[in-house]
Amino acid sequence: MTEQSQWLREQIEDLAVRQSQFTDRAFWLALSRLVQEQGRRQEQLEGEIDGRTWRPDRW
Amino acid sequence: MTTLVLVSHPHLADSTSQQFLKASINSDEVLWEHIESQATIDIEKEQAQLRQADRIILQFPLYWYAAPAGLKQWEDTVLTRTFVYGDHRYPLAGKELGIVVTTGMPAKAFQRGGAEQITLDAALAPLAAVANRARMKWLPTFAIHQFAYLDEPAKLQLVVDYQRYLTQTQPDSLQNKQAWFAQHLPAMIERLPLEQQQAGQLILTAFEQQQTDLEALTDTLGLIKEQEDD
Repeated sequence: MTEQSQWLREQIEDLAVRQSQFTDRAFWLALSRLVQEQGRRQEQLEGEIDGRTWRPDRW
Repeated sequence: MTTLVLVSHPHLADSTSQQFLKASINSDEVLWEHIESQATIDIEKEQAQLRQADRIILQFPLYWYAAPAGLKQWEDTVLTRTFVYGDHRYPLAGKELGIVVTTGMPAKAFQRGGAEQITLDAALAPLAAVANRARMKWLPTFAIHQFAYLDEPAKLQLVVDYQRYLTQTQPDSLQNKQAWFAQHLPAMIERLPLEQQQAGQLILTAFEQQQTDLEALTDTLGLIKEQEDD
């Protein structure tokens, strides 16, 4: 989870708890889960880029 | 995109899961119809609805490893041979067919060695064969197991998973998910009380930034892979 996505999730969840209608709350909470998935994917992509860039055999 | 939801349930008013799903629909692109509520099935009207829809959803509880009798009657009445393929026009070709099925048993029961000894794919094979005959695209099934046992977080998640099953582009990839939320965010921000709209806008901007960052990383990785191939 990146810092940016962590911050974004907090903003979204803060908004979610203030929604009185069930379906509205559901939307914001689902968005928060998506942001978590984005954060995870970002870390994986960064890791893969690092791994592929770190090639001692090509120094 | 237009989605047609055809619900088959002999006692709809008594079904909490069906009432919950109906209340979850928030799009004017979705047309909802209860098959058993109609005194007679109007073939012309039903066929016209099918022609107009891009995605057709059959929604029902699983009774003895099949849909309720009402859906079979609807199929036998509406899906005439001439309509589906007899005139070689295939009016349903290319449309998506999705199944929303509720079951009283847990997901783990629907496998070999499980309590039911049959997968949902196997139980739904006759409907998949109809889709194939009509040259429709069969979507992965949306199963809801033991609705009555779902806690509040699971029900909250179900609302949006169901909405996405009805209207989101398939397959259910991160990219398509992002696009669905990006499409719905402006209207959801508008629904917020005035004092929360600024927070909503801020979230939209940050969300779009995340999307852009991910795309940039994907592009970078693509370039690296390309160079490795050289």
